[in-house]
Amino acid sequence: MAQIELRNVGKRWGDFVGVHDFNLTIPDKEFLVLLGPSGCGKTTTMRMIAGLEDASNGDILIDGTVVNGMEPKDRDVAMVFQSYALYPNMNVYENIRFPLKVRGIDPKLHDEKVRRASAMVELDDFLHRKPAELSGGQRQRVALARAIVREPNVFLMDEPLSNLDAKLRVSTRAQIKNLSHELAVTTIYVTHDQIEAMTLADRVVVMEKGVVQQVGNPTEIYDRPANTFVAGFIGNPAMNLIEGQVRAGVFTAPGVEISGLSAPDGAATLGYRAEDASVVEFGGHINAPIYSLELLGDATMVTVRIGQTLVNVRADKSFRAEIGDAVSISVPAGICHMFDGQTGARIEAQDAS
Amino acid sequence: MTTLADNRITTLKIVSFALVALWLIIAAFPFLWTLWGSFKVQADFFSKANWQNALSGTNTIRETGSAFTGQGYYGAWVQEEFWRAALNTCIVVFFTVVISLTFGTLGGYALARSGKRYAFWLLMAALVFRAMPHITLVSGYLLPFFEWNVWGILPTTIIVLVAINQPFTLWMLHSFFLNIPKDMDESAMVDGCTRFQAFRHVIIPVMWPGVITTGLFSFLLAYNDFAVTAMLLSTQNETIIPAINSFLGSTQVEGNVMFAVAAVVSATAPLFVLILFFQRQIVSGLTAGAVKG
Repeated sequence: MAQIELRNVGKRWGDFVGVHDFNLTIPDKEFLVLLGPSGCGKTTTMRMIAGLEDASNGDILIDGTVVNGMEPKDRDVAMVFQSYALYPNMNVYENIRFPLKVRGIDPKLHDEKVRRASAMVELDDFLHRKPAELSGGQRQRVALARAIVREPNVFLMDEPLSNLDAKLRVSTRAQIKNLSHELAVTTIYVTHDQIEAMTLADRVVVMEKGVVQQVGNPTEIYDRPANTFVAGFIGNPAMNLIEGQVRAGVFTAPGVEISGLSAPDGAATLGYRAEDASVVEFGGHINAPIYSLELLGDATMVTVRIGQTLVNVRADKSFRAEIGDAVSISVPAGICHMFDGQTGARIEAQDAS
Repeated sequence: MTTLADNRITTLKIVSFALVALWLIIAAFPFLWTLWGSFKVQADFFSKANWQNALSGTNTIRETGSAFTGQGYYGAWVQEEFWRAALNTCIVVFFTVVISLTFGTLGGYALARSGKRYAFWLLMAALVFRAMPHITLVSGYLLPFFEWNVWGILPTTIIVLVAINQPFTLWMLHSFFLNIPKDMDESAMVDGCTRFQAFRHVIIPVMWPGVITTGLFSFLLAYNDFAVTAMLLSTQNETIIPAINSFLGSTQVEGNVMFAVAAVVSATAPLFVLILFFQRQIVSGLTAGAVKG
């Protein structure tokens, strides 16, 4: 029903570039997550799609129609704001009904629609309360209900979970996932939380400083980060990145020597995930004293220091050592990701191993 | 059993109550004194022989046969037709408040939501005009008003009062609008409102306390103004404050000063009612719950 297309979309304020040259086609019913640190332009991109911000250049198309310059109300999008933006003078029922009222939908249908939307987010018992009398999670659900009540073409969600506490965030996340499956509407979801991105998205767009770093499904982003920024942003903990030199397929850095890599000679950054590597008795690729040791319950996180950077490895939960003890970490070439030393771009392995 | 701490707290309480009571008496005394005196005759309230006459009402009893008299009120309202002045004041105040609130809400909203630099400079210019003494505007207007033959009538005065008042309402409402999260109007616009509908259906309902507070201040400015109304209105169109002034100005006739006193009380009473009535509305609280608490 609604395919969104962004062609060379950019946003500038004076000399400051908010979003640079954004190109993307979002097919109907896709759940797309815009992910990045604060100030990376993800919210601006969403606001341009909503029509709350004018694009400085480029075209935004919804269903093949250029919507640049169209009022937000004419774009048939619904948005959930980070602050929820409920109307404090109206009760929950009137809040949810508001979009129907201002759009002149037949009043006879209002009650049924409002009740259906509120049932979907389990708000039936709170319809007569004012927003001030609700908890954070309930307010958030009112905002969701207000967005789904008029069955829009596109859903926009701007960090809808960031004001909730950790526990509620997990359950609401599951609720959103279920809701989006039920409604099957094109959704654009903005977040800085990579776990939300990984769990919710069909496709993730990673942005930094207004530039798209990588577009892909969560697995691709996790398994094959396009550059050091994505590698250092995705995953919990993020990928370990070590700067060093490659000579004849051997990567070296202080205390590190990994052979069998297929990267060109020169400066390079090597990345590996803590959960892929392992602690060995001796003969590992990284040999250094332990910098710190964290017991996580299901595992033990061992951190060592290489030059100025800290890298870690996930060891068995029974692993015990003292800070300062020497440790050997096995990082076989197969789990390594290589990035260019200058640009930070991913170097693809020449021969598939 | 009273401990030392309890004692100290009671002493502190007594002292603070006493101070508040003292302040209340000092602040309220002029009003109460005027109210009391307005029911006496001039020979008592402005007695040269003994100030206690104002309390006992010796002359009032001799002249009217009772300790209290409504002569002052009768003279002001009926004889001197003070009701005309009151009516003029109503007209002037009503239109001044309505016009300045209309422009103030629209302009304040626009300036609060505009990200442009000139919004700041417009507000600065408004501040400069606000800082000017009112009389400076009048002196500049007098000649053109005579030339155009619009001097002495109510609409001219209303326009000048709005001009004086507008910078203030603009500033005040601007800061109220700044306190309302931008998300609210954006949310309304995504929900299907035009910018103006968002303003009317979502922002204004939340803004009521701000609008009422600002309206109250505009009311007071127009109601209490002397410089503009005294200079710009002819005698038959004058409002209550210049009218009171003219009662005071003709002291040759006994009783006229008492007309002024009675008129002052008549002019003050509505203000008390108004402020008591609207005290609850004064600001805050309403936006709670709009965004995360």
